[in-house]
Amino acid sequence: MGLTFAEKALGKAAGYPVKAGEVVTVEPHFCMSHDNAAPIAKTFKKIGVPKVWKPDHLVFILDHAIPAPTDEHAVNHKEIREFVAEQGIPHFYDVTSKGGVCHQKMCEEGFALPGLIMIGSDSHTCTYGAYGAFSTGIGRSEMAAAWATGKIWFRVPESLKITVKGKFNKGVSAKDLILRIIGDIKADGADYMSVEFHGPAIEAMSIAERMTLCNMGIEMGAKNAVCPPDQKVLDAIKGIEKTNEWEALWADDDAVYASELSYDLGELVPCVAKPHTVDNYAPIDEVKGTKIHQAFLGSCTNARIEDLRLAAGILKGKEVAVRTIVIPASWRVYRQALNEGLLDVFMDAGCVITNPGCGPCMGNHEGILAPGEACISTANRNFKGRMGNKESFIYLASPMTVAASALKGEIADPREVL
Amino acid sequence: MEQSVLRGKAWVFTDDVDTDLIYHNKYLAETDPKKMAQFSFEYYPGKEKFAKEAKPGDFVVAGRNFGCGSSREHAVYCLKELGIPVVLAESFARIYYRNAINNGYPVLFVNGLSEAIKEGKIQDGDELEVNIGTGEIKDVTNGNLFHGDAVTDLEKDIMASGGLIEYLKAQAAKK
Amino acid sequence: MGKTMIQKIIQRASGKEAQVGDRVWCNIDLSTARDFGGPNCVLQFDEVTDKAKVWDPDKIAFTFDLQAPAHAEKVANNQKIIRDFAKRQGISKVFDVNWGIGQHVLLEHGLVKPGDVILGTDSHMNLLGGVGAFASGVGNTDIVASWINGTLWFRVPETMKITTTGSFGKGVCMRDYLTFLVGKLGADGMFFKAVEFYGETIEKSSLADRITLCSMVTEMSGKVGLIMPNGEVLDWLVKRAGKEVLDRIEAMKADADAIYSDDLHFDVSNLEPMASCPDAPDNVKTVREAAGAHIDQVHIGSCSNGRFEDIAAAFEVLKAAGFQVSDSVRTIITPTTREVMKQCAEAGFIQKFLEAGVVFTNPTCSLCTAEHYGVLPGGDVGVSTTNRNFIGKVGKGSHTYLVSPMTAMASAVKGVLTDPRDILK
Repeated sequence: MGLTFAEKALGKAAGYPVKAGEVVTVEPHFCMSHDNAAPIAKTFKKIGVPKVWKPDHLVFILDHAIPAPTDEHAVNHKEIREFVAEQGIPHFYDVTSKGGVCHQKMCEEGFALPGLIMIGSDSHTCTYGAYGAFSTGIGRSEMAAAWATGKIWFRVPESLKITVKGKFNKGVSAKDLILRIIGDIKADGADYMSVEFHGPAIEAMSIAERMTLCNMGIEMGAKNAVCPPDQKVLDAIKGIEKTNEWEALWADDDAVYASELSYDLGELVPCVAKPHTVDNYAPIDEVKGTKIHQAFLGSCTNARIEDLRLAAGILKGKEVAVRTIVIPASWRVYRQALNEGLLDVFMDAGCVITNPGCGPCMGNHEGILAPGEACISTANRNFKGRMGNKESFIYLASPMTVAASALKGEIADPREVL
Repeated sequence: MEQSVLRGKAWVFTDDVDTDLIYHNKYLAETDPKKMAQFSFEYYPGKEKFAKEAKPGDFVVAGRNFGCGSSREHAVYCLKELGIPVVLAESFARIYYRNAINNGYPVLFVNGLSEAIKEGKIQDGDELEVNIGTGEIKDVTNGNLFHGDAVTDLEKDIMASGGLIEYLKAQAAKK
Repeated sequence: MGKTMIQKIIQRASGKEAQVGDRVWCNIDLSTARDFGGPNCVLQFDEVTDKAKVWDPDKIAFTFDLQAPAHAEKVANNQKIIRDFAKRQGISKVFDVNWGIGQHVLLEHGLVKPGDVILGTDSHMNLLGGVGAFASGVGNTDIVASWINGTLWFRVPETMKITTTGSFGKGVCMRDYLTFLVGKLGADGMFFKAVEFYGETIEKSSLADRITLCSMVTEMSGKVGLIMPNGEVLDWLVKRAGKEVLDRIEAMKADADAIYSDDLHFDVSNLEPMASCPDAPDNVKTVREAAGAHIDQVHIGSCSNGRFEDIAAAFEVLKAAGFQVSDSVRTIITPTTREVMKQCAEAGFIQKFLEAGVVFTNPTCSLCTAEHYGVLPGGDVGVSTTNRNFIGKVGKGSHTYLVSPMTAMASAVKGVLTDPRDILK
């Protein structure tokens, strides 16, 4: 009987065949932490092991609040620098123009590779599934233990197969697909499952689009999310692989799934996730005209060059009607956007373009909301207070929908401005 | 202006006490003056606990150019709300001076205070008697006497009204 | 008896004689507030006037630059308080988080003319003296008073005259000159005085340099530094603010027999790169003397030194060094305004900065006030082109050297405090 991706990846890491439901202990390949590396380091020190098991398996990327905007953050960053020096950790992305949002960097820099077991102390670590990795977010204590022991246990998850066919209509994109899926199966619809994306529509998608899909796997409760490690992935990682221990693994045709879903892109419309849950799906017609005070184009979900191009296409030659904050996912994306003239479009349109980082996504930095304000955002969560204030409202949407809304000063259908 | 003699402890500062040392930029978002008192001098080396340890009626004693730096009125509010009745300094930076006047907050210009502080003629913890009306200052602990000049001219009228807004209202009422 | 510039300005604004020492009520041409101080003004105004109308909504402006965009809840709320008030009062001059540092934004929008009397809730408002405007940083009560009547009182200050001759050597610039002045005159060297700047060095200086020079008059406790616009600066000003600029200049020229409290002369020909060392602006040394000092972060920006010319000067140093900053230092550049940011993009600077490892942010006051972009942890040492360096200013327990953009970039390249002449051979 065939195996799912999760069974294959974890089986390979364990060294013996495994099936869903079993518990295995494996050595993770890359362990990613961001600004929270400091508290994790504190916990690590309590364990009493002097050195992390393999310094080159740790990757630290500062992104949540950079450059440091408060004393607390500044001290936090300093502690991380000291730990990096003490442990000899080679992969450290400080506040320089080589950095960016952690998940973007992991993919850009060749850490995200097919078949690897990857863990991160951030729930959107599932993003690297776009490169065929088994990648999942874990808690701080678990991460500290992993640093100390070089081991992590997993219950091999059941898998959910999502097959996607068809083509996007104008104004519709990957974000609309994933918001629709989450709206259908709800926030716990894929609880503790491995979500596999299959089908011709997935194969036709760019890596950027696949990252958007996998990034939001956690919002349906998934353990990890993954796309096939096809030629596009192999081309993307060529020459930058941080290790050669990867292997392109994919589910067998006769793998056994706990459940299966299918979607046709042609049936999708632009949509949002309304306040205050990610599964609060609404097609654009239902929310069109809702007044907004801020538009945010950024985050690990949707701030790659492809996303910025779509937004710039809508904003070119026009001016935004509301506070619009544009934060490219990494400095590499920023530079590309600069070279392509996209930043000029955003500047002329009246947007604020800040340095790459997480920005206001979790209410930490650069663009949080005041009470009563509404924001339309390309990020991945909209719980009450997510962007800093419990009395504000967050609508999640695609880059095109966000750009169209920024133009109008209210939630708008991108199809009307394309 | 009251003619009574105030009595309290001296808290002594140097020359050029910048507004960031009086009230740090970290707390600029605060808009309620009552909540500003707790941050007084938090960044002044050696006096970080001032807000907790100073008692209403204690005096801030400083050298030249007290309150130099930012125009933040917070730096006046915090001391006023803490119950410091008057600031004694050799001189005041111009914006701090204005802000104090605008709030009817007494400041006394004490000639020679900067040198006196450097020479130890007035120290932390000294018991002071201050008459804001006459400007007489006595360091009861060591017997040293000082004289402070209150403000004059228009500033005096503004102070007498209790602050700039009150002054403007009184002027408007006269018409 | 002859009058100084400030006397003429105050005279025009008040209709009164304006003798030194007089307290005079002046008409305010523009009363502005930032997202810091601004919400305090709004709340106080509504309270003391019972939500009355402001005297003239067209003469009030708000600029958001303290935390642009906001990262603290309180600040986000404060910004909203201002926006709501502006809407209610019909105040259209609201420069939100997408514009940049207030004084510069107002200047670029042609809202500043020589001889204008301008208020702002920031002590470096007076850098607008660089184009001959009498701008003053004041507290919120003064702003509120101006919103009620459109006037505010000033004590007519004495004036100090400073004449500057000579040209700057390689690696030396206006910033070094003003640091020299702060060191020479001290933190209260210009106490309560207006300053008029003359001399060939000033006359051929750029707008950016004049702003830099006037920006630190505050650090010497001066009221305002005034420079008569001429040449290219005048042309630029007329283009932005209109022909009335020319009439204003005529009217405010100091009389030949004006009385000055001080008459100082300085020559900059032999000036070296200078630094305000921790922990006060007047703790001045030459960079040569202080070179080699350990540093953790370099910042180029602020209302003092964040204009295109400043960033271009830093760029030249980076270029001479082969476009690479040291790994051991964090380097951040913050342009003053969106216009400057665009200029930097068009000149190809941003691309090269990013290649070199430099972080380039959006325009804001950044680490200068209330925690934004680059707070230093205790024990860290920063190099910066801002204007104050008291202990803990940029983060509890941190220390800062204040230098020119060239010195800052040279230090970023080498990873320690560095004289730019070592790189610009």
